[in-house]
Amino acid sequence: MISEFIKRNLSTSAIWLFIIFELLFFSIAGHYLSFSDGAFMDLNNMLLLLNQSAPIGIIAVGMTLIMVNGNIDLSVGAVFAIAGIVMLDSMTWPVFAGLGDWVIVVSWTLALLAGALLGALNGLIVWKTGVDAFIVTLGSMLGYRGLVFMFNGENPTSHLNWTLIDFAEAQFLGFNTATWFLAASVLVIWLVTRYTVHGRNAYAIGNNRNAAVNAGIRVGPHMVINFVIIGFLAALSSVVFYSGSGSVNPNDGQLYELWVITAVVLGGTKLAGGSGSVIGTLGGVIAIQLLRKGLGYIGADTSTVNLVIGLILIVVLFIDRQLNVKGAQELRV
Amino acid sequence: MNTKTLLTTAVAATVLMGPALAMAEYRIGITQNNVGVDSYQTTYERAFIEAADANSDVRAVVLDAGGDVARQIAQVDDLIQQNVDAIIIWPTNGEAVIPAVRRAQNAGIPVVVTNSNIAEQGFDFIRSFSGPDNVTQGRRSAEIMCDKFKDMGIEDEAQVVHITGQPGYTTAIERAGGFEERLPEVCPNVEVVDTQPGDWNREKAQQVMEAFLTQYDDIDGVYSGDDNMGVGALNAARAADRDGIIFVGATNFAVGYDAMAAGEYWGSIYQSPVDDARAALQTAIDVLDGEDVPFLNYFDTPKITQDNMDQFTKPVF
Repeated sequence: MISEFIKRNLSTSAIWLFIIFELLFFSIAGHYLSFSDGAFMDLNNMLLLLNQSAPIGIIAVGMTLIMVNGNIDLSVGAVFAIAGIVMLDSMTWPVFAGLGDWVIVVSWTLALLAGALLGALNGLIVWKTGVDAFIVTLGSMLGYRGLVFMFNGENPTSHLNWTLIDFAEAQFLGFNTATWFLAASVLVIWLVTRYTVHGRNAYAIGNNRNAAVNAGIRVGPHMVINFVIIGFLAALSSVVFYSGSGSVNPNDGQLYELWVITAVVLGGTKLAGGSGSVIGTLGGVIAIQLLRKGLGYIGADTSTVNLVIGLILIVVLFIDRQLNVKGAQELRV
Repeated sequence: MNTKTLLTTAVAATVLMGPALAMAEYRIGITQNNVGVDSYQTTYERAFIEAADANSDVRAVVLDAGGDVARQIAQVDDLIQQNVDAIIIWPTNGEAVIPAVRRAQNAGIPVVVTNSNIAEQGFDFIRSFSGPDNVTQGRRSAEIMCDKFKDMGIEDEAQVVHITGQPGYTTAIERAGGFEERLPEVCPNVEVVDTQPGDWNREKAQQVMEAFLTQYDDIDGVYSGDDNMGVGALNAARAADRDGIIFVGATNFAVGYDAMAAGEYWGSIYQSPVDDARAALQTAIDVLDGEDVPFLNYFDTPKITQDNMDQFTKPVF
């Protein structure tokens, strides 16, 4: 019991230790290398960091649930783009012309519905065909992206609505709109994983699918629900982001699935399933955004940023493995 | 809250560093579209860094959005947060960056757009656009073609076909407009017999040209919106054994340059990423110096033909 407790906390607290290390490193390195007058650990800069973490972060929350299940969803980036198109395009539909700014509510709802539907489609295929989620969502990633390009060719889909942009740029208690949505997503999914039957089942299924089936858990419908959740969250991330930018490039969201998975894995969730936490994922998301921001702050270019994040991912997984192997051995003794 | 921080930083900087030091240099941040994607952008970045290094008054924060709009917006916010003196942006999406550009303006940071402009709704929030003048490029292409026809003595009978860029793209529209406006001015008897889009794509342009060749027995000149399409059209003419056609393009590509050296392609417009980068940096510096910078601040894109191509280095893209 106690060893289990230590093990769990080691794997999730590792990412927070890493974040503290990053903060110290960039504060000190920035002192010598940065052209900026401001300190890296400035309050406004940290608030901005949370705001910038939202697009990847909100999706990563859903991905945690999927990966705890032992599944994966590669189509989130394409769903992100589709939801953005649905939101921005529906705002210009003549049907809603009389609604004024209330069209925002309708468009948000439509986009979120579209995301949930696309997620449900993934889940149903995984359930009914028994094909691995990796393959199913690899297919839907390509297919959904195809839809994006069919909609408007290579051209961006745009609609600037200043009410919407003001909403996206608004601050409440010092936090930006996007930060609030990120916080709410983390909180809700954390509560689901901790205190609901559905959440506990997610871990049971990820640990041992056969045992879960034998225990009477309806694995298929359970997975569909999780795919609906991640589809919804990918769309939520999208509407929050595009509210503040107003234009979707057809290649938007590409590689998001990889950044999201990187964040989730950095946060201590096992690729094999059965273990992981939303709080750890939040740490993973913040760690990545800190790296991007910090390396930019000290003047490194984008290719360096990607190289460093890749290296750190491997190092973190290696350390994690060492810790877990040690823990398991200690258990046996 | 933001203005407060701004003020505090400004005061702190002045007190700590002394006014002389604080005024000594401009901190200019640039966020580019996608550096690795083609050699135009790669050369642009290298030239920008060189130009910034060469200028002792400038310290540049050089960022690349990697084609990702979200990352570019985050970079603009970071630059605002770092309180740079000016921001140069090469938009990943001419509309999506408008709100971020507005935030920069609200923070009192002048924004210069480079290479391709943002949408008109954003014009109120930027100080200047630094880039190529596509209308002039179209007009110059018309002049190149007309001058060649005059040399050949066919300026009263020549027939021209026109392959445009992707429909709806500002660059394509402006170049086509400049060409169609200037050609009748310099060569009133030259007729543009057909115009079709080639979508900036070499294969598409080749197909369009194949159709033109079967449709029209007498084609004396081809104007393409860029050299990439121009070479596609050239390939079609070569495959059909149709000689003596004058090809004129725009944005001189390496393939166009090679075709010119081989004597198969007549002329184009030379658009250098080095000039593009230097112009962007200079525009930002001029804005910071308080000079009167034109809103549309074009850099020169000269004519290049087989006659004068030895004055130009081969394009890297």
